[in-house]
Formats: sequence, structure tokens, C-alpha cells
Amino acid sequence: MYSSIVRLQNTFGFFTTVAFAVACIIAASDLFSARTPSVGVLKTTNVQVVRGRPHYYSSKKEEYAIIRFSLDADLSSLFTWNTKQVFVYVTAEWPSAGGSGSGQNATNQAVIWDSIITSPSADHLANLGPVAMRKLRRSAAGKSIDPSRGRLSINNQRPKYQITHPSSKVANQEDVVLRLHYNVQPWVGILTWNPDEDFLKWKTLKGNLSRKFALPGLKKKDEGKTGTRS
Amino acid sequence: MLSSLQNPRQAAAQLMNFGLILSTAFMMWKGLSVISDSPSPIVVVLSGSMEPAFQRGDLLLLWNRNFFSETNVGEIVVYNVKGKDIPIVHRVVRKFGAGPQAKLLTKGDNNAADDTELYARGQDYLNRKDIVGSVVGYMPFVGYVTIMLSEHPWLKTVMLGLMGLVVVLQRE
Amino acid sequence: MASSQEKISVYNLADLKNTTDDAIPNYLNSLHFTQSHRLTDVRLALGYSALALAAACFAWDHHLGFAATTHLTACAVALYTVLNGALTAWMLFAERGAVYEGSAPGPGAGGQGERVRIATATPRRNVPVYEMVVEVVGRDGARTTARVSRGFAEWFDGAGRFVAAPFQEVLASAVPVIGRADPKRAVVKVEGEDAAAAYTPEMLDMLARASAAGSAAETATPSGNGGAKRGGRRRKA
Repeated sequence: MYSSIVRLQNTFGFFTTVAFAVACIIAASDLFSARTPSVGVLKTTNVQVVRGRPHYYSSKKEEYAIIRFSLDADLSSLFTWNTKQVFVYVTAEWPSAGGSGSGQNATNQAVIWDSIITSPSADHLANLGPVAMRKLRRSAAGKSIDPSRGRLSINNQRPKYQITHPSSKVANQEDVVLRLHYNVQPWVGILTWNPDEDFLKWKTLKGNLSRKFALPGLKKKDEGKTGTRS
Repeated sequence: MLSSLQNPRQAAAQLMNFGLILSTAFMMWKGLSVISDSPSPIVVVLSGSMEPAFQRGDLLLLWNRNFFSETNVGEIVVYNVKGKDIPIVHRVVRKFGAGPQAKLLTKGDNNAADDTELYARGQDYLNRKDIVGSVVGYMPFVGYVTIMLSEHPWLKTVMLGLMGLVVVLQRE
Repeated sequence: MASSQEKISVYNLADLKNTTDDAIPNYLNSLHFTQSHRLTDVRLALGYSALALAAACFAWDHHLGFAATTHLTACAVALYTVLNGALTAWMLFAERGAVYEGSAPGPGAGGQGERVRIATATPRRNVPVYEMVVEVVGRDGARTTARVSRGFAEWFDGAGRFVAAPFQEVLASAVPVIGRADPKRAVVKVEGEDAAAAYTPEMLDMLARASAAGSAAETATPSGNGGAKRGGRRRKA
């Protein structure tokens, strides 16, 4: 072997070592940025249960809960230089018949609404039409980090997903709560969710539970109006 | 240095060095498998259904143990479907029940519909045992090499051959 | 190994070291030293058992799948780590860079003389200096250590050919046991300082050409393979 190959090998080896070390430092830097997200409001505004079919050709009828809600939250501290996107989602949780209580030990959990908030550095990856994309990119022109994107204020939001249960029954279900979660997707490193306990500089998401509510009985006249569950 | 192969001990040592590089890589992989309890603890993203979080060629580190909590809604899991060889990386969006019998529904962030269509015929939900692991770590781009290798199989042969040649011809 | 016809790149420190390392057993065995392969054999045993374990692990993983063999695989990984650790420890603490272990020819027929151990290194990256640590344990158990540090240019010509004579002179002059076995090559200590410069590059080239032509310049080094080495030892025993 001649030294040019050896040099190439050494150069490549050195490059990978440096790249890996830099990636590790970037990933570790997450630990040193404080995360203090807060929730102002999370409440249901309108809840109804209707009958419908899982898809157009299905003959099976199921009960679907349509939960409208309002949300006011500040997740801006989650946006740092290593944040690629924050996935925010709201779940509805309720206990099984004869099961333990709601909340952490809920045995039924379903996402009713979610949203991908990209960091300006990841805007070009978002799945949007050209107009929406231009608007998104203009909103953070010249900024590599845009914490204002973490401020959520939505009123009487229609759920993205109408939820049911494998038993097809959700009407009159009691002890239902809504819970706000987030998932921080880094450019490199560890994926993180809202922690159950304070961890170093990462605080828990307080107030992310709504008050308990009950799903109403079946709404007769809306029968058959919903065709999809996703 | 080819003449050094005439000494059997030296030839054996050189062959051993080459073998140890391969076997150490393999055993490190298996060690990671054992620690994470996942048959493939590192996977490469092959599709864009989780964009913008994951692109094609990104490397994901999986964890398949439930020390502190069960696999929950919101986690991104890699699962296998009976009769399909390619594992899928999607997010859990619904969970009914607890324990190994819990029914899980997944959906790709970038997909409009949930995964019911992707599951086996007659299967509406996943169980815990279908899941190969939850995504805990992320490294962009690095996996693109393996995509290239699997799309151009001759590259694999060339690379392995070159590696062997370098190790056999060059000690240290 | 160190057949003078073979050229190496003089810019490759590893090549310089390996070629020189190979010349040591050739030289000493030709002087009827008895080489001990204990170090290499233990290393090979450790390495190949680790390899066999990995191969077995691969086989059962391939045939039975991961879930069915998790515990076995866990044990294999642990054992592999131990074997590999032992191999590394062996190379670090037992071999310590040794390229030769053996004993000098004794007084009687087949008798055992002083035990010799030669460890070599190129202590500084990118500086073509060869360092030999020669440990000699006498028959009375007395241990002496000689350190020799020389530039590779003393026994490689400009084209990258190894020239045996000057290298053998370095060894024979620095270590009395070798000097006694090969008095022809041993240079008197007082001259030792100048001996390094005794071979000019022109002379090295000349020697290389001469040995390539099969002259007697390299009498002390048999031309190469293990068979000849063993044959050479038996010839005079």
C-alpha cells in the first residue's frame, strides 16, 4: 500500500471521528438548555358522540366521539439550535370498565389532534403546498431559531381524529380527560417527550390535563354523517 | 508484503486480524441487540412517511425494553407485519388496554390515514410483540450508505474485497 | 522475508518496521538461536477462539433467530468481550511489542543458553527511528537490558531495499550474546559511534546490488521462507 491510500484512510478516519464528536456535543447541548413549557388553558368546548362507519364500504357501525377543545400553551423554550421539529398532540384518555382511574394509568388513550411545528431550519422539509410553504418560510425569514412558533393559542378547535374504542362503544363514557403532550425531534441526538418528573433543567409540563368530563349519549340526528375515522 | 504470507504463523495472524475486525463489528451489533432487547437495534429509514421528522437514510436507535413505562401513545415504534419483510417506522396514536394484550394503532406523521391498511388482512391493531423497538436516538444521513449498498449490491462485493485486500496487504 | 530484492515504500513507517522485524528472527535463527513461539501461539489461540465464538453466534442467530437465542447470544457477547480483552491484555502486558523470544545456543549440543527477548517499536510517529529493547536473562538468572535506537536509513537503501549486513552489525554490536554468536558482525564498542555512519548511502546501494546478484554479502541471512529457516538450524545442529 502506498502512502496516498494510507493518507486517504487517515483523513477519512479523522473526518468521521471529528464528525461524530461534534454530533455528540450538539446532542449533549440539549441538556444545558432549560425547558420550561407551560399550559394556560386546556379545556373541552363541545363534545358529541355520533354513529358512523370506519370506512365507506364497511357495514359495521361504531360510535365516534368528536371532542372540540381550546388550548393555550407556551412551548417556545423547546426550540433550540438542535430542534428540528416539535410534535404536539392532545390525547383523550379514559379508564376501561372496571379498570383503574384516569390520568397516568388510563388504559384507553387516543390522539384527537396533533400538529407538527418545524423549526425554521427544517421548514424546507415540511409537507406543505407551495403557497403555505412560502408563507411558512417568510414567517421566520432570517431566523434560525423562532421560539414564537411554540406559542399555541387555539380556540374551539375541531379534532383531527374522531375516536372510538375496539368495543365500538364510547357514548356515556365517564372520567375522560384531555392531555397535552409534546415530542421534541432533534437534528441529532435523543428524542424526548414531556417528562413525568423534573429532569435537570427540563421541567414537567404542568397543567396539561383538562378537567374530567363525560362523553354524552348518542346524538341521533347526526347518524351516518361521519364517514372516516382519521 | 505478500512474501510474509510464507510464514504460517504470520499468515494466520494476519487472517486473524482481518477476521477480528469483522467479528468485533458483528459482536458489537449483537451486544447492542442484547442490551436493547431488539433484533435490529439500529435501523435506516427507507420511506418518507414520518417526514419531516425522519428522511430517507436517517439512522434510528431503537430500545425494546419497558423499564419505566409501557410503550405509550406518542412513541415512534418500528413494527413488523406478518407476511411483509420490511419493518415500518410510525407513531403510536391509539392504545386500548394495558400489558401485552394492549391494542395499538399507528400512523405516519406525514400520512393522512392511519395504518389499518398496512396491517395484515383482518388485523385492526398491533400488539406489543409486533413491535421491534421504540425510537430513542436519531442520527441524520449516516444510513444512506446502506441504502446505496442495498440498491447497488455490487458495491457490497467491491467494498468487502477492498477491505480484505487492504488488511491482508498491509499489517497494522 | 527480508529478501533484499523486495522493495518497500520508505515513507511507510509500518512497512519499515515490519520488514525490519521480520529480519530479526531470520538473523538470530541463522545463528542457531532457538526461537520460542509461545507468545504468538497464545495470541493466535485467543484470537481464533474469539473468531470461532463469533462464527457460532452468527450461525445460531441466522438459523434460529434472535428471540429464541437471546440468552445464548448474551453469554456469547460476554465471553467474546472477555476473550478480546484477554487478547488485548496479552498483547499489552505479555508481548509488549516483542518480535522475538528465544534462547542462545548453549555450550553443549542442544544446550540452552541465555534467553533473549527483543521488543521493537517506532516510538515517534512520522520519525523513522527504530527502537529495540533487548532483554537477556543469563543462565544464572541475571537480567540485562539493552536499548538500541537507530534510524531506518542505516539499513534501508534509497529504493526501499532492506540490507542485512548493517542491521546485523547493529544487533551484534549492541547485544553481547548475539555478538558472541556472530563475532564477524560485532563491532568493537569504541568504534560503535562511528559505525553508524560507516555505511554511506552509496555503500548501501552497492551492498543491495551485490546481494541481489547472489553475492556473499548476505551470508548470515538465509534467503527467506520458514522452511529454509528450520533447515538452516538443523544443518549445523
